[in-house]
Amino acid sequence: MASQTLNSSMQPTDVYGGDEVSAIILDPGYSSVRAGFAGEDTPKSFVNSHYGVNESGTVFGDDAIHNPLAALDIRNPMSKEGIVEDWDTATRLWEYSITSRLTSFKQADPRTNGLNDDLKDMDVEMDGIEEGEKPLEEHPLLMTETAWNSPKNREKSIEIAMESWGCPAFWLARNSVMAAFGAGKATALVVDVGASTASVLAIHDGLILKKSVQKSHLAGNWLSSQLRTLFETSEPKVELVPHYMIMSKSPVDAGAPAQATYRKYEKSPTDSFRALEEERVLTEFKESVVQVWPGPGRLNSNNQMGMTNLEYAKGQPGRVFEMPDGYNQMWGVERFSVSEGMFDEKAALPIPGEQPITKAQTIPEMVKASVNAVDMDLRSQLLQNIVVTGGTTLINGFTDRLNNELVAMYPSARIKIQAAGLTAERRFGSWIGGSILGSLGTFHQMWISRKEYEEFGANVVEKRCK
Amino acid sequence: MSQSGVQVDNDCIKQFNELKLGKTLKYIIYKLSDDFGNIVVEETSSDKDWDNFREKLVNAKTKNKQGKEGKGPRYAVYDFEYDLASGEGKRNKITFIAWSPDDAAIGPKMTYASSKDALKRSLNGIAAEVQANDEDDIEYNTILSKFNKGA
Repeated sequence: MASQTLNSSMQPTDVYGGDEVSAIILDPGYSSVRAGFAGEDTPKSFVNSHYGVNESGTVFGDDAIHNPLAALDIRNPMSKEGIVEDWDTATRLWEYSITSRLTSFKQADPRTNGLNDDLKDMDVEMDGIEEGEKPLEEHPLLMTETAWNSPKNREKSIEIAMESWGCPAFWLARNSVMAAFGAGKATALVVDVGASTASVLAIHDGLILKKSVQKSHLAGNWLSSQLRTLFETSEPKVELVPHYMIMSKSPVDAGAPAQATYRKYEKSPTDSFRALEEERVLTEFKESVVQVWPGPGRLNSNNQMGMTNLEYAKGQPGRVFEMPDGYNQMWGVERFSVSEGMFDEKAALPIPGEQPITKAQTIPEMVKASVNAVDMDLRSQLLQNIVVTGGTTLINGFTDRLNNELVAMYPSARIKIQAAGLTAERRFGSWIGGSILGSLGTFHQMWISRKEYEEFGANVVEKRCK
Repeated sequence: MSQSGVQVDNDCIKQFNELKLGKTLKYIIYKLSDDFGNIVVEETSSDKDWDNFREKLVNAKTKNKQGKEGKGPRYAVYDFEYDLASGEGKRNKITFIAWSPDDAAIGPKMTYASSKDALKRSLNGIAAEVQANDEDDIEYNTILSKFNKGA
């Protein structure tokens, strides 16, 4: 290939150790995997963590898993706590998230990149194609992890990067530390509410204080369960029918039964597929209808006007939501009551088959427990440096409510909450942090090199990435 | 070691020792070099007026990736002198300030926060540290109340 010599003024600015190859940042979560090149503002690749399995193989990515004809069983390689359970599939999922969208190396096999819906001869010759060439031989990899990731899992991550993907260098960064740095803070209390987990933990001088880590399941998926209970107990009951079941619908008045014709499938899709598709409707509902009662006070507490906040909220304008089958209604105070359980355990709606939630699982109580677990001298500083991150915190009123709860809990302390105003920074906070760090010219001294890995083995990650 | 690999220029330590031992300097403002490779001294001064110092932090600028100028974080060391609340005379505290305004861009904020430890650890004799993210955090009285609380 003809190459043109670059003079120094034309040198690219995003160099890695004098090389022109940029690092890849991989930020895997329970609901999605974010991947992209260091130095970019948002991840180029955003892939659903759920994947589909049928008799002809495994498919990844939103283009493939939402196909109702494929008789897919929908699974997730991550546990509910955001830790990998199924390493083989997680590795393939991550590899898919990198190779399908980041174009610096060869595209994935067209049979597996999700662009073709014909699933018949999936996966047949995968091994043959991969042979001799590993997908990341030219790219250092920076991966993010949760604060509660186990040492064994951390070692497994570097093994995959080095052995399976052939990375020249690797780094593991804590997602909460990335969020704190991104807010300009080396010391912070990070409140992260994602899809599967809500967590609160303290960071001091860039290091997580292990004993301060608090987590519960009162996050996005739990909120979905609250919505299911709300729909079930509504009068009339609201049917949660996902889009793929609807052939056509006619407009109906608010509250009137749906007028829709339904699709028939020869082989009806699995329950797990239906659950995945229902979740998409619930996500839309959460994004457009649900609010957190902003406070002051709880939804059921009395305000100065001598009525409960609940009564006041009933007078607030509602919002209409149309279900895929055309059923629509105005949602009033329910918009607030479904999320109230995150702050007040008594207000949580019962979820069939699950234990009632406890006070300790609510967000304000987790903050209290986290703050109480650290040194006295540090507490007031942490309360002044609260960083809120994670997609579920984007629900309207969340930050205001947290602030009001904490002001009531610590009347003499100064409470200051920092939450990125840009939606992307809140959803992709830890990816963006990794992207900035990985693109710094000085970061080449930080990477664990292949040589170091070969010399010291996988537990080098414990020594280097604190 | 910082978490960014950013290095500390020798002059940072030299000027700090000058402030600590020479007692002629009142404050030092540090910044990241334009290529974000080193922490360097931006300015030293013997001006005792806190508000002039504060003004400098508030107006600090940095360039983003595209070369556009915006609000910038800084590090500073200030020889903070104050009267004890009990009226028992004066005290000095060499105070490290990590200034990162909330409305600065995420790139500089991330880089400064992840590099802070490199500088702080190379300066021996810091008595207090302030992490400041808005203009209230660097009011003289905010910092004073912090020191007098425990006294």
